[in-house]
Amino acid sequence: MRKPRLGRALVHGAAVTALAVSTMMSTSVLAQSVDISQWSPEYVRSIAGTEEFDTAAQCGAVTPLDYQGKLTFWYQGVFEGDPDLLRQYYKDFFVAFRETYPNIELQEQALTYNDLLDKFRTALLGNAGPMMVRLQILGGVEFASKGYLQELSPEDVGWKTEDFWPGAMKSVMWEGKTYGIPTNNETMGFIWNADIFERAGLDPEKPPATWDEVVAYSKQIHDTLGIAGYGLVARKNAGNTPYRFMPQLWAYGGGVFDEADPNPTYEEVRLDSPESKQALQASYDMYVRDKSVPVSALTNQQADNQPLFLAGQVAMMVSHPSDYDVMLDLQAKATGADKEKAQTVIDNMRYGLIPTGPDGRRAVVFGGSNIHILKPEYVDGGVVDEAAAKAMTCFWTSPEWSLKMAYAGSNPGNLNGFKTSWMKERLENIEFLDVTTAMLPYGVPFPALPVTPEIMNIIIPDMLQNALTGAMTVDEAAEDAAQKVRDLTGGGGL
Amino acid sequence: MTSMTEMAAPRGRTASAAPRPRKKIDGWRWGGRIFLLFMLAYTALPMIWMLLTSIKSGFAATQFPPQWWPDEPTLASYQKLLDPQNSVGQDFLRFFWNSLFVSVCTTIMAVVVAVPAAYAFSRFSFPGRKFLFFAVLLRNMFPAVIFLVPLFILMRVLGLVNTHGSLILTYLTFGLPLAIWLLKGFYDNIPVQLEQAARIDGATRFQAFLLIVMPLSAPGIIATAIYSFIGAWNEYIYAATFLTRNDQLTLPVGIQRFFSENTTDFPGLMAASFMMSVPVVVLFLVLQKYFVRALTEGAVKH
Repeated sequence: MRKPRLGRALVHGAAVTALAVSTMMSTSVLAQSVDISQWSPEYVRSIAGTEEFDTAAQCGAVTPLDYQGKLTFWYQGVFEGDPDLLRQYYKDFFVAFRETYPNIELQEQALTYNDLLDKFRTALLGNAGPMMVRLQILGGVEFASKGYLQELSPEDVGWKTEDFWPGAMKSVMWEGKTYGIPTNNETMGFIWNADIFERAGLDPEKPPATWDEVVAYSKQIHDTLGIAGYGLVARKNAGNTPYRFMPQLWAYGGGVFDEADPNPTYEEVRLDSPESKQALQASYDMYVRDKSVPVSALTNQQADNQPLFLAGQVAMMVSHPSDYDVMLDLQAKATGADKEKAQTVIDNMRYGLIPTGPDGRRAVVFGGSNIHILKPEYVDGGVVDEAAAKAMTCFWTSPEWSLKMAYAGSNPGNLNGFKTSWMKERLENIEFLDVTTAMLPYGVPFPALPVTPEIMNIIIPDMLQNALTGAMTVDEAAEDAAQKVRDLTGGGGL
Repeated sequence: MTSMTEMAAPRGRTASAAPRPRKKIDGWRWGGRIFLLFMLAYTALPMIWMLLTSIKSGFAATQFPPQWWPDEPTLASYQKLLDPQNSVGQDFLRFFWNSLFVSVCTTIMAVVVAVPAAYAFSRFSFPGRKFLFFAVLLRNMFPAVIFLVPLFILMRVLGLVNTHGSLILTYLTFGLPLAIWLLKGFYDNIPVQLEQAARIDGATRFQAFLLIVMPLSAPGIIATAIYSFIGAWNEYIYAATFLTRNDQLTLPVGIQRFFSENTTDFPGLMAASFMMSVPVVVLFLVLQKYFVRALTEGAVKH
């Protein structure tokens, strides 16, 4: 298999990393247990496998291993479609926890990504929540601000705040207090199909460098081959949409607020800025003017784009390294001629850095999940077993398990996870992992505001849909969305 | 229409009727047939596609142009779902059993409550009868989702969250009004003289109801049962909200497991959907004549 020009892209990435890191990690880089100021794929490789951790011993110091208790726990789980490797790690995790804490009666409940927030909100209204929950990154501040969560910091479970990305810690802080601990952090990469590029007359090893080039490549692919160029997603109330549109918005210099700035205040709404409109215009050009993205983009999420990519009907998309593992799984389970076809798709997959804006600005959503403990009054039964909850929190956020639970599609929340032998093994086994570790310093956290889920899951997709369906012009859609954000942050509703 | 003499009449007519001349096939008839064929394809093709996808590998299911008939057909998805040794199979079989339990309990309770209630509305005159009759329909005038949070809080107060009882109770609140209306229409069409005759012959009111009215209303009761069963079997949003323990989940919620954040197991999803549709299709096929009869029975007043 030919190697893409990933090395060059990553070297370029490393060159700007220091600047990006200093931008994003503006708070406390000095005491970091992993030196993120040196962050680069090479640095990650150099620290992988350099330290060993004894999870049971470390968590035993927080909650004694013979502790007897009961714990209810909801989390965004992995399911039948996820890579076998990841599912096995989730299974192993709960087996290991039960072996380590045999006297804690654990009732865990896995929920799907799009259901978790709604189900959790409903349960809280009935004071019937679980004792602890693992939420996607944009959920923590909403629930902390409403008073549902207990204060919880890494120090409470034996870790240091410096063991976690400062950007990730922002997502669990509200009014100066900490309400959770990051379990995993992710930044996505740009995936393309080299064979389609070649057939469309593009250099198969050269991804688009800018979002303007994405628009141009997408048009060329569509005009030449009649298939979709870029895998645009614009579905409402699905996390996939902001995860794919916000990098574009930030790259053009726009934003919802000033969240991409070094020290954001979230006071100035920028959705109607010329830069934001330019980003929206790029999506409009692909969907309406060029018709070079799937016509189903308005209802697509990544789970719909992935089969299109695997079928050779979409040439480019923003996604996780887990797509590679999904493809390996599909190939392993295919038989006969399908097996060879699947291998061809794998051979043509290429990963690179997410494109930049016109002025070289590169950005990606600093995503992930955080773990939280609830206040007793919102929990079914009115009691929270704090010792049991801390045991689970310590276990999941440990270097070992925060790495293993993020093995196929993300990165460990606890930075010490990068030092484990499992990280070393992971770097050897997962193709293209360098891309997502290289993208980490470009990560921009979602605004740490209670209204962020509504902005990201409703207003942003609405803006896209208004522009792409022609219900509004690009300018009107951006201005309408900006006004909705102003209304929302001013205390109004949607 | 439903009197015994009338019911006997068609048999006599059939026996004595001479063969009728064949009607000329006109354009309207052909148009009707084509329309019916179109409707058949419209309803059957998704089912066929579901079945075909369920016997493909994950990779084959994502191919375009699609493999109309899989190059490498496999029953792997069904084996996985039905294998109790496999974690997917364990979950699926448990969800299936849970759905069956909830649906059967809902059906039995709906019939037990709706039959006497409808009979009372049909035969008895009591203060507030009209108001009560329309009151049972009040709930059906609002979208079901409006009651989600209030019912959730109610179930929590009753200590029923995470129990199948919460679903059975909820499904009854949705299913009963229509069941009562359906059965009342049915009872209205059973001549009261039949019961009066039974009373004259010495039967008590209950005996007249049990031995005369109930057998005649069997199609209506069966239709009510089918309606309740299908409603409970397919319901998603309340099951997803009231149940949080894996061992309690029902099939519509369990099937969500084939969707992940970034990927979907299409063959597994289609195999599970197909197996989920089997009990309902079988039930409907076996009892459809009663269902149709019950729906049309109350349409004509005597």
